[in-house]
Amino acid sequence: MSAELIGRRRFLARTGTGLVLAGTASSLLSTRPAWAAVAKVGEAAPGFTVNATNGSPVSLGSYNGKVVVLEWTNHDCPYVRKHYDSGNMQSLQREATGQGVVWLTVISSVEGTQGYVTPPQADELTMSRKAAPTAVLLDTKSVAGKLYGATNTPHMYVVDKTGTLVYAGAIDDRPTSRRADVPGANNYVRAALDAVAAGQPVKTPVTRAYGCTVKYS
Amino acid sequence: MATRFLAAALVVGMLAGPGLAAEPARAPTVKAPNPPGPPKVSVTLLGETASVEPGASFWVGIRQRIAPGWHTYWTNPGDSGEPPTVDWALPAGWTAGPLVFPQPERMPVGPLMSYGYTDEVVLLTRVTSPAGLPTGGPVTLRGHAAWLVCEKICIPEEADVSLTIPVAAGKPAPGTGASAIEQARRAVPSPSPWPASLHATPEAVTVSVAAPGLRSDRIAEVLFFPGRWGVIDHAAPQEVTIGRDGITLRAARGLLPEGPAADLDGVLVIRERLDQGLASEAFAITAVAGSGPLLSLLAAIGLALAGGLILNLMPCVLPVLSIKALALVAHAEGSPGVTRRHGLAYTAGVLVCFAGLAGALLALRAGGAQIGWGFQLQSPLVVTVLAYVLFTLALSLSGLLVIGGRLTGVGQRLAARSGYAGSFFTGALATVAATPCTAPFMGAAMGFALTQPPAAALVVFEALGLGLALPFLALSLVPAWRRVLPRPGPWMARLSEALAFPLYASVAWLVWVVSRQAGPDGVALVLVGLLLIAFGAWLHRVAHGAAPRRRRVATGFALASAAVAIALAPLAAANPPATTPGAPAGAAWEPFSPARLAELRAQGKPVFVNFTAAWCITCLVNERVALRGPAVTEVFARHGVVYLKADWTSRSGEIASILGSFGRSGVPLYVVYPARAGRATAPEPRLLPQILSEGSIIEAFDKETL
Repeated sequence: MSAELIGRRRFLARTGTGLVLAGTASSLLSTRPAWAAVAKVGEAAPGFTVNATNGSPVSLGSYNGKVVVLEWTNHDCPYVRKHYDSGNMQSLQREATGQGVVWLTVISSVEGTQGYVTPPQADELTMSRKAAPTAVLLDTKSVAGKLYGATNTPHMYVVDKTGTLVYAGAIDDRPTSRRADVPGANNYVRAALDAVAAGQPVKTPVTRAYGCTVKYS
Repeated sequence: MATRFLAAALVVGMLAGPGLAAEPARAPTVKAPNPPGPPKVSVTLLGETASVEPGASFWVGIRQRIAPGWHTYWTNPGDSGEPPTVDWALPAGWTAGPLVFPQPERMPVGPLMSYGYTDEVVLLTRVTSPAGLPTGGPVTLRGHAAWLVCEKICIPEEADVSLTIPVAAGKPAPGTGASAIEQARRAVPSPSPWPASLHATPEAVTVSVAAPGLRSDRIAEVLFFPGRWGVIDHAAPQEVTIGRDGITLRAARGLLPEGPAADLDGVLVIRERLDQGLASEAFAITAVAGSGPLLSLLAAIGLALAGGLILNLMPCVLPVLSIKALALVAHAEGSPGVTRRHGLAYTAGVLVCFAGLAGALLALRAGGAQIGWGFQLQSPLVVTVLAYVLFTLALSLSGLLVIGGRLTGVGQRLAARSGYAGSFFTGALATVAATPCTAPFMGAAMGFALTQPPAAALVVFEALGLGLALPFLALSLVPAWRRVLPRPGPWMARLSEALAFPLYASVAWLVWVVSRQAGPDGVALVLVGLLLIAFGAWLHRVAHGAAPRRRRVATGFALASAAVAIALAPLAAANPPATTPGAPAGAAWEPFSPARLAELRAQGKPVFVNFTAAWCITCLVNERVALRGPAVTEVFARHGVVYLKADWTSRSGEIASILGSFGRSGVPLYVVYPARAGRATAPEPRLLPQILSEGSIIEAFDKETL
């Protein structure tokens, strides 16, 4: 009797899980086109695990309780160069990490395309450009890139302490490759980090990212 | 900027150098950022004219010649990229307008989408010279152009451009860039002749373009380029439906949550199949947010019901309704069963009448007529008859016309069984009186109904009717609600007299409608008709209290005057106004007929024939871009060209055979019949290209008459 009961319970639990999984899968399939980010501003930031340049895997979930910035990059893209040559990106990285923010630089260029780097090359770039990320992730299989719908380099995301995606889009409001446009620009990432630190909602949570296409192919 | 960029690249290369040298075995060098070599785009500034007049406007073009495999960007670059810019450094007093972009292409880049140009593109700017510009010397227009060019990688490039052009009085000759600029102007989206709307669900965005009567077999492809990011997922496939009412595009929603809340400007590109291949026509559309006809059937029924309820308060319906309501007041203590049956009869009258109206509307639409709610008011005959009916009703409420006893008497008849037919016809009358009116919510519901299959459309129409009947029906079905009605009394007569005035106002409005449709003569006839009705009403009242013999005479005259009034109605309708207000500008044309063409040819006159159709998109663009221009009007006037327009919208066999004689099976077709001009026989007709430009028409006549 009791064995039968457990069996039934187990059966129900299994079929329940199965139904939920099938439901989730089918809802994903039916409502989302083939290329559509799973990440949505205002919802939980989807987790991923990608190798950092030192070879150790980094999981977004391991930073629970901390504010995380995701920065998609391609060092040869003129728009990325605008922000690194001017020192804008590095100073933002120092500012953020100095306040305990985790800064993950993500490279989603696949091998053979612009911006693809080996781990030593990536470390070399960090050194030579005096960059200050927490880690540089080599997303060679485009897993994180497609999960977040990263379209451009640079493409910026901010995740708050509760794991909610609170900002997605451009680094600032001057969509050009001119270094001269850096000083007068309104930096959306800094604004988002300030809002998160002050416990306020992000004023401009979604913007059009500008730059070069992420080299997925 | 390019040099600065290369310098920066070198700096990074040098910085990267030593670190990489430390690990020669493992790491190949970090590649130089961009391939060295010549720029990927060469730009030239082109002028439309060979010289420039003081105080004149003309086009200049920034031509980009783009290396194979590379592309530049449109104003909305898509998922990445940047639109080109030009900073002008013009001489004092000169002004330059904004950059005008020709229609872009969709360029998939992996899973993303770019909007831009390949091969060659000419971006346009309208430049204006100052009025006091001294003639004689040349001027040089300078600008600094900057653009992003991408293949797989992207390179920002820039260049100084200039154009030196002499200043001279008098009409300038075409410049070296004239044909390239004209071609570019042909590719610039023209203002859309159709309204468009935007509607969003959490997953998808729908753009509906109200372009009725397009022929789906002629349309090879429809593309929409949103003017800004975030509303539509650029890379998502666009699902296109071409129906009787226009084009509907559906695509996955973009990332900006509030994106579809604001109106969306964009470019609609329609590739149309012509005899000579595909024509790609671009229209600048503004999809008005939230106005989409994409209600659910249930929402449409709800809106129709609300609209019908509000319709009761409209000036044309309220007085009609009051007749029934006052009767109910007068007989509040009557048998509930009888009252209920009256309510049902009234409702039946409304519903039957609405079904008839909807049936007529749907049947006419199925027959190809492009009509909507209010179609009945497009006929001056119907408008005149409505004016008569409402006027008669108003006279009755004023107490000037006695139809089988006054209103106070109607209440007594309500109790009688014979009154059910009366209730039914009051319902019908309320519907007829309601037809000129539109209530809030009705427009959206009706708009939706007309895009639906007949059964669904009928349901929405009946919901509107039910809404109209509902207040009276509710009062008659629920005796308790009747307790809120005031007590009967002399106030009822005052109220009904007062309610005549909204009806008179409706009549005044209908007369105004007739004035738009049938001109002053039509108005005169309608007013005479109203006069006769008033006269007939007075005679009828006189007859009421007269001796039997006189009563017959008076009634006879009353009927005769009413008959004359009714006979006037079609006459009023038969007088179309002499001129159509707001006729489009451009060269004057006359309708084509083979006889007229033969006559003009016999006289040796030059003739231009435009074979067109309402459903032909290329024809529409040609008329807007080329035929309506002042330059063409001037050339037609100068050469005495007679412009004939052959409308093939209804596909007449006569025009089909003429098209066939030119080896064509469809429109557009533009034929130039040159003047005889001293020759023994007129030269052969010439065909102009299906993609028409001002230049090709002007050239055709200027060359022929040399």
